Amino acid sequence: MHISIGAEFRKNRFGQVGLILLTAITVLALLAPFVVPVDPHRQTRRSFEPPSALHILGTNHVGQDNWSRLVHGARTSLLVGFLVACAATIIGAVLGVSCALRGGLYDGIMMRLVDALIIIPAIIILILVFAYLKPDIYLIIISIALLSWAGGARILRAQTLTFKERAHIWAARSFGGNNWYVMRRHIVPDLSPILVVEFIHAFRRGIFMEAGLAFLGIGDSTTVSWGTIMRNAVEYSYMNVWSWWLLPVGLALSIAILSLTFIGHTLEPVMEPRLREEASA
Amino acid sequence: MIRRNVPTYIAALLIILGVNFILPRMMPGDPLMAIYGEEALVAMTPGLKIYLLQSFALDKPLWLQFLAYICQIAHGNLGFSYYYNAPTLEVILGRLPWTLLLVGCALILSATLGVFLGIESGWRRGKGLDRSMLSTFMALSGFPGFFVGMVLLLLFGVSLRLFPLSGALTPYSGLSGLALLLDIVMHLALPVSALTLGNLAANYLLTRNTMVTVLKEPYVFCARAKGLPERTIRYRHAGRNALLPVVTRTGIWLGRIVTGTLFIEVIFGYPGLGGLTYQALLSRDYVVLQGILLVVALLVLLVNFGIDLLYIRIDPRIRHAH
Repeated sequence: MHISIGAEFRKNRFGQVGLILLTAITVLALLAPFVVPVDPHRQTRRSFEPPSALHILGTNHVGQDNWSRLVHGARTSLLVGFLVACAATIIGAVLGVSCALRGGLYDGIMMRLVDALIIIPAIIILILVFAYLKPDIYLIIISIALLSWAGGARILRAQTLTFKERAHIWAARSFGGNNWYVMRRHIVPDLSPILVVEFIHAFRRGIFMEAGLAFLGIGDSTTVSWGTIMRNAVEYSYMNVWSWWLLPVGLALSIAILSLTFIGHTLEPVMEPRLREEASA
Repeated sequence: MIRRNVPTYIAALLIILGVNFILPRMMPGDPLMAIYGEEALVAMTPGLKIYLLQSFALDKPLWLQFLAYICQIAHGNLGFSYYYNAPTLEVILGRLPWTLLLVGCALILSATLGVFLGIESGWRRGKGLDRSMLSTFMALSGFPGFFVGMVLLLLFGVSLRLFPLSGALTPYSGLSGLALLLDIVMHLALPVSALTLGNLAANYLLTRNTMVTVLKEPYVFCARAKGLPERTIRYRHAGRNALLPVVTRTGIWLGRIVTGTLFIEVIFGYPGLGGLTYQALLSRDYVVLQGILLVVALLVLLVNFGIDLLYIRIDPRIRHAH
């Protein structure tokens, strides 16, 4: 697994676009307090205002500044996506690698669980869970992560199985390296390109799920979320306000997901080296 | 393959049943209210309460409760929705055909178009058509389905007024025959397009990539050496093998398609299970939410099982593998 992630990006224009877009959104989200002076929660009497110098994207049904809510929504989306990706990648790596190294009954049971989790539509479970438990943002992150690691674990296990028999692993074992040592010093570093790809996929999933749940009305009411903004805006789509209320948020969410998809596609040859000579499109 | 996958399906079913069983019983307060939602309290008489307590064995230890729960489900009793004043199963089955229609159309369209375009594109690897198709579908694959749905709705529904904005039928129109069919198709067009577009890109990319690797296989070289016509090599030799991953992925992606349908139905006010889920969330109709989870999961598992069977027919190697 000697693959340079930088080289993949130099070849692939989609990957470059993805990186630029993701960086742009991240910078915007980090600079939120400087970019938007208006508090996203502050309600005014002036609702449904068209764009003006004061409100770049106008105001919503309760007179909140749309631009400010859009930028603060980016913070929520990126935070959820990032934390979901961290948690899902770690769970997937630990379970995938340990399954490959231990094998036996543990492996068998875990893999059935993984396959089951891959088939079941996670969002419906999340809807039911959150119908009962009133979620805050961290419960949402944890729940999404707990339902998002399975695909990664399966791939990581398969890769580890091929590494397991290689000479340098045998060498490490013959010097007395145990499972934990081999995993930490040899397997995980060798897996790192795949971990990056899994991280990107989970990142995208996290953003999509959070927005989707908020769109259905499930979410932390104290945080500004793109999903909630779209939910409110869709209700007024018959009015002529959607072009500066609904569309920008939909676009922002699409750009976030799009950029991660492009980055994911660019890194795909890492998983399937046979495609590498093809990827330069 | 089939024998290997059965434990997976059982595990999936156990997870769903477990979630459905544990969640309401974990909640503080009256478990009956947690199972049935606040709507039930209005209709609750002491007699009914005792009957429900007994049918769920709520006064017994947890494992007996689980047995009672499984028994109820095995009898097709998914509870009673006090919001709709009807058995839950009836409510769900009433909405199911619309979702099946939506998902079915989108699946068939995206699979046939995706595989066809993927085979043609992979065959012309590196040429102009392949490159432009690859770029288009790459870009398309990044857009979330519900955004595509929103744009279609705003463009063709709100601005151009070409298609109806919501629903599956024009209410109280009294249409029948061909006019009714046309009405259904008009209502179906936008949601199906939105769902198809998202899935089409994934099918195309997968088929094209497989096609590219398959074309390097010795049997394709051999077919060429035999002097077989181009079309035969493209579809009978390479295409058939490029089809395999699409079939496998369709099962895995089904959950994702169902998720996409959920949002599309909410956006287009479509009266399928997605619309029902949305309604049930608003009215806190827990019984219906649980029922939807169970029915959808069962359907997804069934389709996956069907795909396993289909796979054996397409790829005879599987049958002899075990």
